[in-house]
Amino acid sequence: MASDLHLLVGGAQGSGLETTMQVLAPAYASLGYGVMANREYFSNIVGRHSYIHMRISSSGEPKALQYPVDFIGAMDAESVFTHYDDIREGGFLLYDMGTARTRLVQIASMEPDLRNRLLENFKKLGIQPPTVESVVSYLEKDVGVNVIGLSFTALFEVLIKKHGLTRAQAQRFRSSILIGAIAGLSGLDREALELGLEKRFGSRPKVLEINKDFVASVADEIEREYGTPLKLAEPKAPYSEYVVASGNDAVAMGKIVGGVRYQAYYPITPASDESVLLEAYEGLKIDGESLGSIAILQTEDEIAAISSVIGAALTGARSSTATSGPGFSLMVEALGWAGKNDVPIVVTYYQRGGPSTGLPTRGSQSDLLFTLFASHGEFPRMILSSGDHLEAFYDAIEAYNLAEKYQMPVIHLLDKFLANMVASMPIPDLEGVRIERGETIFEAPRGPFKRFPRDKPIAPRPVLGSGAITWYTGDEHDEYGHIDEDPVNRNIMYERRWKKMEIADKEIPEEFRAKYYGPEDAKVLLVGWGSVKIPALEAIEVLGEEGVRAAYLHVRMLSPLPKRLISDVLSRFDPENVIAVEANYLGQASKLITMETGFLFKKFVLKWTGRPIYLNELVEGVLDIVKNGRSRVVLSYGK
Amino acid sequence: MASRGVASYRTEVWSDWCPGCGDFGILAAMQKAFAELNLDPATTVVVSGIGCSSKTPHFLNVNGVHTLHGRGIAFATGIKLANPNLTVVINGGDGDLLGIGVAHFVALGRRNLDVTVIIHNNQVYGLTKGQASPTLRKGEQVKSLPVPNLQDAVNPIALAIASGYTFVARAYSLWVDHLKEILKAAISHKGSAVIDVLQPCITYNDIYTAEFYKDRLYKLEDDPEWDPVVRDPGEEEEKKATALKKAEEWGTRIPVGVFYVNPLKDTYEDRLAKRNPAYSRENPPAFQSIYSEGSSLVGPEEFRKLFDRFIVKVSRR
Ligand SMILES: Cc1ncc(C[n+]2csc(CCOP(=O)(O)OP(=O)(O)O)c2C)c(N)n1
Ligand SMILES: [Mg+2]
Repeated sequence: MASDLHLLVGGAQGSGLETTMQVLAPAYASLGYGVMANREYFSNIVGRHSYIHMRISSSGEPKALQYPVDFIGAMDAESVFTHYDDIREGGFLLYDMGTARTRLVQIASMEPDLRNRLLENFKKLGIQPPTVESVVSYLEKDVGVNVIGLSFTALFEVLIKKHGLTRAQAQRFRSSILIGAIAGLSGLDREALELGLEKRFGSRPKVLEINKDFVASVADEIEREYGTPLKLAEPKAPYSEYVVASGNDAVAMGKIVGGVRYQAYYPITPASDESVLLEAYEGLKIDGESLGSIAILQTEDEIAAISSVIGAALTGARSSTATSGPGFSLMVEALGWAGKNDVPIVVTYYQRGGPSTGLPTRGSQSDLLFTLFASHGEFPRMILSSGDHLEAFYDAIEAYNLAEKYQMPVIHLLDKFLANMVASMPIPDLEGVRIERGETIFEAPRGPFKRFPRDKPIAPRPVLGSGAITWYTGDEHDEYGHIDEDPVNRNIMYERRWKKMEIADKEIPEEFRAKYYGPEDAKVLLVGWGSVKIPALEAIEVLGEEGVRAAYLHVRMLSPLPKRLISDVLSRFDPENVIAVEANYLGQASKLITMETGFLFKKFVLKWTGRPIYLNELVEGVLDIVKNGRSRVVLSYGK
Repeated sequence: MASRGVASYRTEVWSDWCPGCGDFGILAAMQKAFAELNLDPATTVVVSGIGCSSKTPHFLNVNGVHTLHGRGIAFATGIKLANPNLTVVINGGDGDLLGIGVAHFVALGRRNLDVTVIIHNNQVYGLTKGQASPTLRKGEQVKSLPVPNLQDAVNPIALAIASGYTFVARAYSLWVDHLKEILKAAISHKGSAVIDVLQPCITYNDIYTAEFYKDRLYKLEDDPEWDPVVRDPGEEEEKKATALKKAEEWGTRIPVGVFYVNPLKDTYEDRLAKRNPAYSRENPPAFQSIYSEGSSLVGPEEFRKLFDRFIVKVSRR
C-alpha cells in the first residue's frame, strides 16, 4: 500500500471542481491523513480549464505537491488533453465516455499555445487525429494507465430518476462522480466520506442527502468493479485534530486571534477571500456572546484601504489590509506616511504573477524587493514571510505585535500558492500566543503630547481619543508632530526612525527570523523563503535518499534580515553548493542576502510560470546543479 | 464640562499662509465654532490632505492628522469607524478633495459617515503655485496660467448631492461668522456634511477676488421661502432637485448658505451597528480589550468555537 496518494481533478471553471477538495480534504483529514490541495485556475468565472491537485499523505502532515499523479479525474475532454502526461504508469484515469469523440481542435476554451503544443506532441506520438478516445487508448496501451470510462449522462439519469432532479440540476453533480470514484478506488471509509460531504453541504440538507446517496453509490460501484488499488497505508496520525483551511483562512484566523479591530480592503485575487472571511466574523460571536467587533470596510480603492487603516491604527485599533501586487502598487505613498509617523499597520500581501495584471490567479514571489523598497524616501518597515499554513497563522498575529512594538508598518508577504492551497494543519498552540502592544496608550494626560521625543525612538503612543492631543504629518516633523524643516531636527528625526530598526534587529531573535532544517553535516544548502519551504523540506529528504546530503535555510523575516545567523550558516558551505530557490527571475531573496551579508550566490533554481514549485522538479533541478554543474535551473512544470 | 475660550483652540505654530489668504478666515471660523460647540480637543480630530489649506490642523489645538494629497477623507474614514466617539473634521483644497481625492469624496457621500468636510475652494492649486484646480471654469485664465483653462469645472454642491452627502452648504471665507454658524450646523449634523468654502487666493487668483464676490454673494436663508431640510422621506427627491437647481446659479448672483439637509438618512456607523450589534459607540473597536494577561481573548476554547467549521476531529477507523 502506498504511503501517499497524488490526485488531479480537472474541469471547467465554474463546474464545481472546488467541491472535490472541500469534501475530500476534511474526509481524509478525519482519518489522520495529511492533506495538501492546490487550485489552479484562470482569471475567468466560467469555462476556462481549472484543476485541483491534491496529495494525501499517511505521514499525517500536509506534504509537497508533485507529479506525476496516481489518479486523474477528467470532468471534460479538455482535462484529458491537458493532463495526458501528468499521470504515472499504472495510474488511473477517469473520463466521461460521452466526450470520447471530442477532438482536440474542438476545444475552444483551450489557449492556442497549449493546443499547438499538444497537437505537436500527439503528432510525434502518432495519436492522429487527437480525440479523447485516441488519447485515452494511447494512455492505456502505451503508458500503462488504467482507464475508467464512465457515462456521465447515464449517471445523471440516475439523479433525474431517483432524486427527481432536472437535467440542469443533475449536471451540477459532476464533481460528485469524481469524489465517488476517488473514494471507491482508495477505499475511503464511508463515514469519513460522509463527514466530508457534511462539511461541504451541511447547510443544504437536500443537496447533502442526494450527495450522500449518489457519491456512495458511485464509490461502491467503482470499488466493486476495480477494487481499491489506490488504498493508502494506515496514517501515522500524530494529531487528534486538524484545522483544514486555505492560507487565506489561516491568516484571517490569525488576525482574529491577534485582535484585529479594523480591516479595509479593495477586492483583488488572491487576497480578498481573507477579508470576506473576516466579514463573516465581524461580530466575533461565541455562543451568542460577542468578544468584540471588527469594523471591516470595502473601500473605493486600495489607496483608501491603506489610508483608512492608518487612520484606524492611530485610534488604537489593530488595523490591517490585505491585497496583492496591483493594490500594493497603489498603497505605497501611504506606506511612507505610516513609516514617517510611527504608525503600526499591517499589510497582508499575497503575491501573484506580475508585472501589471500579469498572471492574476497564479502565484509568484516576485515582489520581495518591491515591498522592501516601496515608497519614496528611506524609512524602516518589517517584512515577514510565511512558509506554510501554520506559519501564516502565527505570523498574522506576530505582524500586529511587531507593528505595535516597533511602531512601523509590517508587510506580511505571502503568495497565491499559500493563499489558495488548502492544507490540514494541527490546531495552533494558542497558549503560546502572546499579544504585545508595546507603548500603545489608551489613557494619557490631557493636552499637547510629544509624540516623537528626540531621545526615544520607540515612544509612548497615546491613541487618538486617549486624552492627549497629538499631531501627525507627512512633512518632516518636530517632537510634537508639527512641520519642521530645520536641518538639525531633520538629522535627528531621520536617525530616530532608523534607530527603531536597529532596536528591532537586536531584540527579535534570529532563530525566529530564519531556520536551518536538515543534517548538520549537509553538503548542499537550499536557501528560500515563503512557500518554497513546503517542497524544500521534502526535497532535502529525497536528496538525502539520492545520496546528496542537503539542508534548507528558511528565511521567515526579510526585514530586518537575520544576517548573523544567515552568514553563519552560509559560511559552513562551499558557495558552489549554495542554491537559491525562489519563484521569481532575479533570485530576489538571494540578492537581498548578498546586499546584507556580502555572500554571492552562484546557483539558482527559479520558477516564474505562476505554478507552484513541485517537489519532483525541485529535486531534479538541484541534482542538475550538484551533478551536472549547472548554475541556473529554470523550472516550468505544470499546466 | 467647563467651556473653553476661542484662544484655547489655537496653537503657537505660526500660520505661514500669504497675508490676506482666505484660509485665515476658515481657521478663525473653525476656532470659533469649536469653542461655541465646546468641543473636547482630546476627542476632536482635524484631518487634512496636502496643500496650503491642509496645513490647518497645525494651527488648531486639537488632534491633527495632516495626511497625503487627496487622502484626508480616507484617513478620516478609518479614524471615525474605529472610534465613532471622535468628532472628525476634514480640511482640504479644491484640488485635494475634488481632483486627486475625488474618489474618496464620492465614496464618503455614499457612506454618510458622521464627519464634516471643508473644501477650501480657491479655484487654484495654491501650494504648487497657481495651476487650475477642478473648480476653475473653462476658458478662465487666472494670472498664474500662461494659457486659458480648457477643462470644465466640477460643481462641488451638485457633486456632493449626487454622491449622497446629507448636509451640503456653501460659505465664504471672509464672512467668518456666517461660516462659523454653518460649521456648527455641519458638525452637529449626523451624517456626512460638506461645506464648499469660497476663498480668495490673493496670490494666484485674480478672477475670484474679494472684489468679485462682494456684489455677487447672497445668503439663501435671506429668502424666507428657502427650506433645504428634508422632513419626510417623500421630500428627498424634490429637495434635492431644488438644491441642484440652485447649485447651478453662478454669475451675477452666487448663493451661499445651506443647500440641502437630510437628517433622516442613517449614518454608516448606524448601518454597521444595525448589521453587527457588537459594533457600538459604547464599545468602539479602537478601545476594545483584545487580550488579558498577555494572552489573546481568543484562547483554545474560543478558537474551537469560532472556527468549528474548519476543525476536523481525527477518529481511527
Ligand atoms: C501625490 C501628490 N501629487 C502632487 C503633489 C503636489 N501638490 C502639493 S499641494 C498640491 C495642490 C494643492 O492644491 P489644493 O488642493 O487646491 O490646495 P491649496 O493649496 O489650493 O489650498 C499639489 C498638486 C503632492 N503633494 N502629492
Ligand atoms: Mg486650491
